[in-house]
Amino acid sequence: MSIELKLDRPSENIVTVSVNGDIDMSSSTKVRDILAPLFQENNKAIIVDLSGVSYIDSSGIATLVEGLQWSHSSQNKFRLVSLTPGVKDVFEIARLLTVFEVFDTKEEALAH
Amino acid sequence: MSQPIKLSIPSHPKYLGLIRKVLQELLNYHEVPDETARRLILCVDEACSNVIKHGYGGPCEEPIEATFYIDGDDFKVQIRDYGKQCDSSQIKPRCLDQIKPGGLGTHFINEIMDDVSYCTERAKGTLLTMVKKLKSELTSAQEKDKE
Repeated sequence: MSIELKLDRPSENIVTVSVNGDIDMSSSTKVRDILAPLFQENNKAIIVDLSGVSYIDSSGIATLVEGLQWSHSSQNKFRLVSLTPGVKDVFEIARLLTVFEVFDTKEEALAH
Repeated sequence: MSQPIKLSIPSHPKYLGLIRKVLQELLNYHEVPDETARRLILCVDEACSNVIKHGYGGPCEEPIEATFYIDGDDFKVQIRDYGKQCDSSQIKPRCLDQIKPGGLGTHFINEIMDDVSYCTERAKGTLLTMVKKLKSELTSAQEKDKE
């Protein structure tokens, strides 16, 4: 399954990345390639919408952990929204659910 | 015992989606609960990814053979490769206390599966066998439904 990535800038210094498709070994580098440069910009928050992702593997989790690390060193907020049951389960098995800022909707993440 | 389902894919990440789809269909056919099915698919995907990364040293066109057995309460999968053999005693999940990218695949497999074994007693490659007891999963899913 191919992956689709859509970048939006709903307001100044806020970026949302909507991911649609499986994040696995074949597609996680595409997610990384779109996220990495965003942390070089002066963004207040980078929000990743995972509502279109039903499957994520360890390489996808590793990519998001990298994003978290970049956010710590760049002062950008890094937020995940709309985790599907399958994705949430993988985060739970990895014991990472509480490590990220996770929101139910994009609106909540934007308002926070 | 039902006939095993066998699938051989080239050792390239672009075929991982195919193996996930085939396994999903098989687990649907056997009415395995969604959460259990997702977890079993994750383990098979991670095992194949490890073969690509470590067994074959990166994406290529070497074979990865998966054989799925569902026999009563047991789900068993065997993943055979013909790449570099590993020292199975060195395959250990990493400590999760440190938040860092990578190294979670083995943790997922060990956490989800009931039995995991690596056999390298052959001329080339490794045979990974993973077993999951479905009965306990079915019971806990039924108890969840009652709540």
